[in-house]
This record gives sequence, C-alpha cells and structure tokens, in this order.
Amino acid sequence: MSDIVITGMGVISALGCGVEATVDRLIRSESGVGRLRYLKTVHKEIPVAEVPFSDDDLRKMLGIADGVSITRTSLLGRVALREAVAMGQLKGLGDQRVAFISGTTVGGMEKSEQFYKDFLENDSRNEYIALHDCGACTDMIGREYTGKISMQTTISTACSSAANAIIYGADLLRTGRADLVIAGGTECLSKFHLDGFNTLMILDNEPCKPFDKNRHGLNLGEGAAYVVMESREHAEQRGVQPICQLTGYANRCDAYHQTASSPEGEGAFRAMQAALQSAQLQPGDIDYINAHGTGTPNNDESEGKAMMRVFGDKVPLVSSTKAYTGHPTSAAGAIESVISILALTRNFVPANLNFSEKIDSLNFTPVTQVLTDVELKHVLCNSFGFGGNDSSCIFSKIS
Amino acid sequence: MDTYIRAASQISMQHPLSEEWMDAPILPSAVFNEPIDPDYKQFISPAEARRMGHLLKRAVAVSLDTLQKGECSNPDAIITGTGLGCVENTEKFLNALIDNQEQCLPPTPFMQSTHNTISSQVALKLQCHGYNSTYSHRGTSFDSALLDAIMQFQLHRISTALIGGYDEMTPAYFNMLAKIGYWRDGNVDLASLKTNGMTGSLASGAAVSLLLTDSYSPECLCRIVDTHLFYTHNAEEQNTLIHSFLHQHNLSETDIDAVMCGFSGDEGNDAVYRHLLNSNFPDTTALWYKHLFGESFCASGYGIYTAAVCLKHQKFPEHLIYRSGHHDADFVGNILVINHFQKHDFSLTLLAPCSNSPLL
Repeated sequence: MSDIVITGMGVISALGCGVEATVDRLIRSESGVGRLRYLKTVHKEIPVAEVPFSDDDLRKMLGIADGVSITRTSLLGRVALREAVAMGQLKGLGDQRVAFISGTTVGGMEKSEQFYKDFLENDSRNEYIALHDCGACTDMIGREYTGKISMQTTISTACSSAANAIIYGADLLRTGRADLVIAGGTECLSKFHLDGFNTLMILDNEPCKPFDKNRHGLNLGEGAAYVVMESREHAEQRGVQPICQLTGYANRCDAYHQTASSPEGEGAFRAMQAALQSAQLQPGDIDYINAHGTGTPNNDESEGKAMMRVFGDKVPLVSSTKAYTGHPTSAAGAIESVISILALTRNFVPANLNFSEKIDSLNFTPVTQVLTDVELKHVLCNSFGFGGNDSSCIFSKIS
Repeated sequence: MDTYIRAASQISMQHPLSEEWMDAPILPSAVFNEPIDPDYKQFISPAEARRMGHLLKRAVAVSLDTLQKGECSNPDAIITGTGLGCVENTEKFLNALIDNQEQCLPPTPFMQSTHNTISSQVALKLQCHGYNSTYSHRGTSFDSALLDAIMQFQLHRISTALIGGYDEMTPAYFNMLAKIGYWRDGNVDLASLKTNGMTGSLASGAAVSLLLTDSYSPECLCRIVDTHLFYTHNAEEQNTLIHSFLHQHNLSETDIDAVMCGFSGDEGNDAVYRHLLNSNFPDTTALWYKHLFGESFCASGYGIYTAAVCLKHQKFPEHLIYRSGHHDADFVGNILVINHFQKHDFSLTLLAPCSNSPLL
C-alpha cells in the first residue's frame, strides 16, 4: 500500500487543551507540572501535571449533561477526539471504514476508587461499575464521534498503550482492514496510580529532571491525544492535506523485569532499531528523538544506553517533554506523538527542562534551550511501559 | 497467507490442560464456577508461584503447555487479551489504599495489577523479546489479540505467535457484576440456559491459549482463514457484514458447516445470535460453548478453541449442539465463530480444516 499519513490530531494535557495551546507552552518552555487541584488524595505534596480543568469544566466543554455518568478518562479522551475529528475532517464520510483504537490502563479507576465501598455495600453508584474497565472508556469516547465507527478496540500495555494503539491502527491500514483510523490513548490521574508509583519510590518530590545525573523520579500526568491516519492516496482522494507521514514503527519486549528496564535497554534498542528498519532509514537520518525520558534513574540511563547502541557517538537532538506534561502513562505515546509531529512540521525542538548535569555513562546531553528554525525531516518518538512493552514510532515530513 | 493453529490449551471449569470435555464434559452446577487448577509444579517453581496471583499462574501454565504441545520454545510474538487484567491484585491494592488512607501500601500488588502484567510475565519466563501486546476491550479482548496476530502474519513479520485470553472472577467482582445484571439468579441447568427469555449467565474465569503458525504441520488443529471485527448497533448491517465477510473469502452461507455462537443463557445476549442464525444460517448446525466454559470477558477465546478442537477430531460432540441443522456426519468443514459484546462489538472468525481450502 502507499504511505501512511497523519491528517488530524487532538490533544489535552497539563499544557492545556488543543494543539495550539500545546505548541505555545512548549515554545515558551512553560511546564505544566505543579500542585494538585482536582484529585482528592492525602499526597498533596507530590507534584503532578494535572489537566487544568475539573470534570465539570470538561463536561461543559463537551456539552455532557450532569445526569450522564462518565469517567474523567473518558472526558479527556472525548476532548482530544473532538479536535482530531475536526482537524481530520471526518464528518460526512459515508461508507468509509473508520476504526477507533484507544489505549488506557487506569480506565475508570478514578471513579471506582471513590465509589468502591458503595459498589460492594450498597446500590448508590452501580452505574459506575460498568464504566470501570478499559473497554468501557473506549466505548464512551467513541460516542463523541458522530460519524460511523466500523470497529473499535482497546490496548493496555501500560505506558506504551497509546503508541501501540497507533501501531495497531497503522497495521489495520496496511492490511486493508480500515480506510481511516483514529488512534491514541487517554488516562486520568487517580489515587491508584499516584499511590502505586509512590510505593515503587519512583516519584520525584520536585519537578522531574529527565536525563539529569541527579534525577530522582517522575511526575505523574494525565491527558489524552488521538491522531487520524489513512493512506496517502485516501487522503488525496478526499482532498485532505496530510500533516506528515508515519514512516516506521515497531513494538518489542525488554523481557527483563515486571517494572524495571534492563541496564542496557535491550527492549528499547530493539524497538528503535526495528522502527528504523521498517522506515528504511539509517540512524543518521533521525533529526530529533522525543525520548520516553521519565526522569527515573532506571529509565533514563537504560533508554540513553539503548540510544547509544543505535546511534553510536552520533546521538541526534534529544529531549524528553515529561517535565511539561508529566508522565501521562497510557496517553504518553499519543501526546508525545502529537508533540513530535508538531516539532517536525513547525521546525522546533522543545527543551528538556530542569537539566543541569550529564549522566556519567551516557555520551550525550539533551537539548536544554528550545530550538526554533531547525529543519527536521524525521522524528523518532519512544514509548516504553512496565513489563518491558517498548515501542517506537517515526514521523517524517511529507516526501 | 495461511495461518494455522498448531496447539491449544485451556484452564477452566473443565479438566485443565486437556480435551476431556469433548467426551466427558463437566456441566455447571453453580452460577459462579471456579476454574480447576492443574498442578503448577511442572511449569512454575514453588518460589516463583508464591509471587504470582491465580491468573498469572494460570496464564504461565497454559502458555507453557501450549508451547510444549506445539514444540515451540520461543514464539515470535506474544499477544494477550484480558478484559480486566489481574483483578485479584488490583483489589488487594485498592482495598489497602482505601483502608489505610493511602499510607504504607505494598508495592507488589500494584506491580502485578496492570493488564499487561500477564503478557510480560510470559515473555519474561520465555525470554521472548519479540512483539508483545495486550488488548483489554471487554468481550472482544481475545478477538482483538487474534486479529493482531493475523495482521502480523499477513505483514510477514512473524512465523509463530502465542495468543491467549485471560480473566479471573473474584468474589467481589462477581458481586459487583451481579448488581448490574450479569449473572443468573439460580437456574443453572442446561435446559434453563437454552430457555428463551431468561436473564443472566454463568460466571467463570478464562485461561485459553493458542499457538499460531504460518506453516502447516500434521499436528495442526485447523486453519484460521480470517478474523474480522466490526462495530454496529444495526441488526440489518450485522447480516450484511457477515455476508460480505464470507463473500470476501469466496464463500456463501451454505458453505458453512457449523456456526459457533456465544449463547450464554442471557436473553439480551442470545437473541442477537438467534437473529443472526435465523437470517443467515436457517438450516445450519449451531454450536455453543459457554455452558462448558462459563461467561467472562475472554470467553470468546473458548469459542475458537472449541471449534478448533472439533476440527482436529473431525466431530461435534452432541453436547455442543445448540440447534441441530444440516451437517455432514463424516466431515467437519468450515466453522464460523460469531461473538458479540452487548450487541455492538462483533467478531467473526472463520476456521477450516487444514487440508480443505475454501479458496480452491
């Protein structure tokens, strides 16, 4: 088949709602990490990157009535989907097969953890029982699309869920099983995740410092993003201008530990290398890497070593944008794909905030000041998850 | 591009890791039917087992059993469906979080609560660095995983794939789903499961695994012609999509020897299958499997497993026949497995004997 192109995208994160707000904050190097406002937890001291809208704000944006039960994960997803659908001009498509692929892990947990005792002891919150699981979130988000969805599914590979949703979507196109794909992911902050990551002792009590020698951990984030994908011919036929190409992608497994990454970044190395191979590109062709770069001691060293294995002493421009959006877990792969696409098409490289000292074992330092007017042709976006679910995608300018 | 099921295994309310259910099925006796655990020692050391919840042990055992049967030590891809992931650990962590007001929580249940814990644990055990993914989409989780594997074969990226469907039903989750009408209120005998107009089904867990390959070998159970997922609320469109799926593979409705359906005893669920059978396959034999394996988000995996075992043995045991129709007593040919979740997420899987290509 012909090339896969991106024709629409939508995003919501701690940087705000929409691609323009996202670019604006990135160019001005303004972090979205701060204090909690909406999630009710005892751990108010832990910095997070919370979407700056309450559930009520999001309901109002979407026009969802108070009486309708919906989880925050679904609300965030619907906001991002709405923008992607508008940009991709997906209205009035007729018989086109539009697949909807969404990644999430926490699903409806943010409501379940509030109502769990009610679930068990009384009948006051029963409507949220059916909204708890991951698939239920996809179901609720898909309803935002007023056109016809031909198939839908949900991917849950922890922090690489959204990247794998994009990969599954691309394979649906490649095998002729869909004409258009809306793919990405969504995740909201929950006590379950905040406490879970806290027990693993991988949360920084300060804004995170990806790739810094003295990094202490990650800041959790939340948000959602989706991209619209189709073949180049299909976009041409319906008269939609492609934004960029998805030239390569790969999914590999670290198979090292349930939560930790291997010291030499085996899974990350394999994913990046296989993505390059699928794009028929050489390492030297990559102009910028939007790293997974969580800010944990383990991830950044492992990912950095994997980059050195792929790129040798010529590691391209690298930055992690986790210090802006926090780590939005299952949504990370989609939010960072959108950021990668924005960097590629608007010729800038976001700064890796809070960096001061190089990691001893690595041969590169990240970009510390935002670069504008850089000509980027190919951008590699890494998404790695618990369980060693490592995926990489390559976005390229339209050739 | 042909895909074969080279080996299959299951842990369920039937005898574990065996096909005894073909001749000696265990019929349900309760609304909640716990799976029968095998002796895990042959697969997992006691030290490893202590760190694993029920579902992880079942997933590892059933995966290793499938690989042993298929004489494969390291599949090119591991792809998993799970509607709910490791619920036991999720509940442990959630209860601790609520009861201890978010203080002094144990990390292990959190680490083993994510849905992809299962697929990554299997990869870890096998040291498999290949493609690895997890689908968590309610009643079509397994089907989504199967479709992914078929796409990887079609794109010539792999030549073997281990796919699995895993779900556990804890007492608390069972009670929660009971509140929203999932389960039978008594009446668990077979006759009542086939009686129209009753609501609720029988609960169980799921652990079912298939080894897929792109090359034929004599031990293969059957061939997977294709899998198709679709989403629609429109009953007429469902008929059209079934027809076009068969047409795409140069088949018509009368080329189908049996239709394997997810009848569960719940009227809302079963009415969809009755409508599809009456509209498209009025004279075809209809089979069922949830009376043997119970209902769970990954139950659809048993539908494909059951059909594959029937093709291997070239027979339909009487107890699988939901509705008698025309079928050749001496030859089991094409089986269409239809699955739906809540009348909108559908999957179609077409299975055929290894030697009988419907394309010829």
